[in-house]
Amino acid sequence: MGNKTSKITSQDRAILDLKIQRDKLIQYQKKLQVISDKETEIAKQALRNGNKRGALLALKKKKYQEQLLKKTDSQLLNLEELTQSIEFALVEKDVLSGLELGNNILKEIHKEMTIEKVEKLMEDTADAIAYQNEIEELLSGKITREDEDEILEELRQIEEEQLEFPRIPTTPLNIADVEIQSTSQQKAKSETVQKETKKLEVTLI
Amino acid sequence: MTDLFNFPSIHNFPPFYTLQTQPTTRQTQIALWSEIILAYFMHHKLYRLELSESLNGELFDNKGIKRRLKLGTLQCIIDAMVKQGTAEWDLQSKKNVALIYWRKPEEWATIINNWVFNSGMTNSILTVYEIAHGDITEGLDFHGLDQTILLKSLDILVKRGLAQLFQGTSTEDMGVKFFGTNG
Repeated sequence: MGNKTSKITSQDRAILDLKIQRDKLIQYQKKLQVISDKETEIAKQALRNGNKRGALLALKKKKYQEQLLKKTDSQLLNLEELTQSIEFALVEKDVLSGLELGNNILKEIHKEMTIEKVEKLMEDTADAIAYQNEIEELLSGKITREDEDEILEELRQIEEEQLEFPRIPTTPLNIADVEIQSTSQQKAKSETVQKETKKLEVTLI
Repeated sequence: MTDLFNFPSIHNFPPFYTLQTQPTTRQTQIALWSEIILAYFMHHKLYRLELSESLNGELFDNKGIKRRLKLGTLQCIIDAMVKQGTAEWDLQSKKNVALIYWRKPEEWATIINNWVFNSGMTNSILTVYEIAHGDITEGLDFHGLDQTILLKSLDILVKRGLAQLFQGTSTEDMGVKFFGTNG
């Protein structure tokens, strides 16, 4: 937490003084209230005893206490106002110093990136890009000049192959032969399949 | 202070007012008494027990069964509470005044610190008086807190680095500045 004593500033002390004053005023008001309430009691008691003069005196005293109370009220308000404006001014000061700090940092950052530097950097980048483009051109240029025609030729060939229709057979087919062959073959196939499934069933059961 | 505290039935049990000799019974008796004291003080928001004076009050003087606690017995009970951390002797009073901690100063410290944080009082200056008696704490748990306990709790916050106590330029009255950070 570092140095603790440094956390209390003279402003803090001033605010505390004001607030202590306010506390004292409040306590004083409580006292006045108690006294003036008591005076009312005294006046009532005096009237009951037929002491009009005493009652009047008590009420006068009470009036005086009430006036004092009113005065202290406005003093209290003054104190509160003053403390609040100090507190608000402190907040404003904090905001200002915050802004100042931010501004300084911004300036420092700007110092590190002067216009000349940025211009130079941009130029350098442009140069680099140009250089890169040149290399690319050179490299890709070599490939095309030697190979592009060949590549295109190959592409054409592939396309042609795909476009050609299947050729019509020149010799007539013996359809019957093919059919018989295929049916007998199928029969044999299905028989073997049936046998195998049976075998499987047996083993499973 | 007007609403009544409901005493547990043990409070009407005559032997409860005589210190028991059997160690385990005595232990239970003392534990029960300290429970009643804590509950009673919490109910009425009291903090300071003046032993000899309190012996005439409803807490230790049961007029219904005509039984009353003796000063020595009460001191025994408070001694046990001190050991438990629920009470503390006022050292100048020679075992006649004790602070009753139905909340320990550490707990009060946390409550106050949370209030400061939640009410945006961080970095503000508050007087010790207004924390316990000011309008801003009206209705809060620690409103009316005993000055000694309050200062102890604030000291705890100071040790934790969460607050600093300081004096005004012209008076002895103390003020606090809170530095925030919750917990």
